[in-house]
Amino acid sequence: MTILSINNVSKRFNAGSSNETVALQNINLTIESDEFVSIIGPSGCGKSTLLRVIGDLIAPSEGKVSIHGKSAAQSRLDQDYGMVFQAPVLLEWRRILPNVVLPMELAGIPKPEREKTARNLLAQVGLKGFERHYPWQLSGGMQQRVAIARALAIRPKLLLMDEPFGALDEMTRERMNLQLHDIWRESDTTVLFVTHSISEAVFLSTKIIVMSARPGQILEVIDIDLPRQRDDSTREDVRFFEQERAVREWLRRAESGG
Amino acid sequence: MKIGRQILSFFIVLLLLGVAWELFKWFGGDPWRVTNNPFGIEHNPPFRIKQASDLNLPHIWEIISAFGKESRRNGPMLIETLAAASLFTFREAITGFLLGGFLGLSLGTLFAHIPLLNRGCMPYVVASQTVPILAIAPMVIIWLKAGWISVAIISAYLTFFPVTINTLRGLLSPDPTTIELMRSYAASWWAILWKVRFPAALPYIFTAFKVSATASVVGAIIGELPSGIRDGLGGAILNFNSYYITGPERLWAAIIASSLVGILFYLLVTAVETIVLRNRKTK
Ligand SMILES: Nc1ncnc2c1ncn2[C@@H]1O[C@H](COP(=O)(O)OP(=O)(O)O)[C@@H](O)[C@H]1O
Ligand SMILES: [Mg+2]
Repeated sequence: MTILSINNVSKRFNAGSSNETVALQNINLTIESDEFVSIIGPSGCGKSTLLRVIGDLIAPSEGKVSIHGKSAAQSRLDQDYGMVFQAPVLLEWRRILPNVVLPMELAGIPKPEREKTARNLLAQVGLKGFERHYPWQLSGGMQQRVAIARALAIRPKLLLMDEPFGALDEMTRERMNLQLHDIWRESDTTVLFVTHSISEAVFLSTKIIVMSARPGQILEVIDIDLPRQRDDSTREDVRFFEQERAVREWLRRAESGG
Repeated sequence: MKIGRQILSFFIVLLLLGVAWELFKWFGGDPWRVTNNPFGIEHNPPFRIKQASDLNLPHIWEIISAFGKESRRNGPMLIETLAAASLFTFREAITGFLLGGFLGLSLGTLFAHIPLLNRGCMPYVVASQTVPILAIAPMVIIWLKAGWISVAIISAYLTFFPVTINTLRGLLSPDPTTIELMRSYAASWWAILWKVRFPAALPYIFTAFKVSATASVVGAIIGELPSGIRDGLGGAILNFNSYYITGPERLWAAIIASSLVGILFYLLVTAVETIVLRNRKTK
């Protein structure tokens, strides 16, 4: 079943002025539910812009986005998707539990229920016992896990993640990859994941979209041929290396301008 | 503890100021002698400096003991007069503070949400502060007739400005990603204001409140002068000023009382701030 379809989407910043930027040009894409799709591409190629158009945080200059057959705007109002940014973006004056509760609070879910859900989610991301801490008392990796728990709080059909582990060290990042993979497999959430790490993309994805810059376009869609369940042994699989090499090759072309 | 050290350093500085004050008089003040003693203790300062004379700079003990003396012939003790005046002025100041604070919060919130209003009205808000309060005060008295409410409004005139500016800055301080996050959860502008912008603005607002607290006392004292109100500190200052020759220490005592009211108000706001922001990291 198609969860996300993007038809002929273009986005121009400062249209008509001398410093017009064509961030996205004629993007066409459909994503089936239950997939894990990564977007990879050179810096500035429009990955974040694409995610923000999908999330109805900015309007496309042309084209149409629909999530579950609804317009992007309606999906946002219905809280159909959750978003995770590169920074955790936690409210510093709220303890961890109320931070996770926030989206449910906005959705008007009754207090006992939302706190119960938040507790379960925190346990799921390995943060049991930190409910009453403040964000600044947690490490960067822990804060990002809070952000993921918060995004999952509304049981989104679609999870949009913009380089969520970009600021973390390699070890933490690999651990988070495993955790995210487990979360994705156990839930019925479709993930759209922006990254600039090739191995992260191959490890997590069922499909990788390679974008090229100026103007941002989809260069190639690569299906990842690995078992659905990933774990530490995945990184030693021969196929893992092969696909990594393939993605690297496409990325090189993307960087040299197609 | 931090607060203990702060209080200690306050008193050390106070002591040093007192010592400097008396040293100045020792070197340049009026000569004095202790009468009724067999040794004839006396002091003749090496210099004569007009500003250090007993009329211009009374001895600290003279000022302190003035609190315990009659404020006028057969009248109540000066400390009672000043305490009553302080309370009266404090009432005006706190009313002005609340009025100005409310106005400042409202304007700041409006300006944060309506850029057009911000651009159009902010120049007038700034201009309002370049008009001297001494010119505004008599006008307010003429419009609203003399009374402590008018004085409170004059005081509010001094206090709304810092609150407006800091509320605006604070409300606009959350980074754009935080606002995007809220929008991604379909938060209304009201929810964004209440759950993100306002909490983020609180430290800014309290900074303004601290400035306003002291400014409101100044505004109240100045406001009393043209309104002919004699019950407050402004009245006391005016009164003791005209009898300065016969008792300079009373004016100094009134000045001390005025600054005490300002300091106490400031401390009150700081205490509330400490409670409200107790869990914030930025210290
Ligand atoms: N708000 C904006 N105004 C103007 N230009 C923008 C804006 N946001 C992004 N851009 C431009 O659009 C292009 C794509 O940006 P972005 O989507 O952030 O790239 P990526 O996330 O792939 O690094 C860049 O050239 C960037 O400078
Ligand atoms: Mg980006």
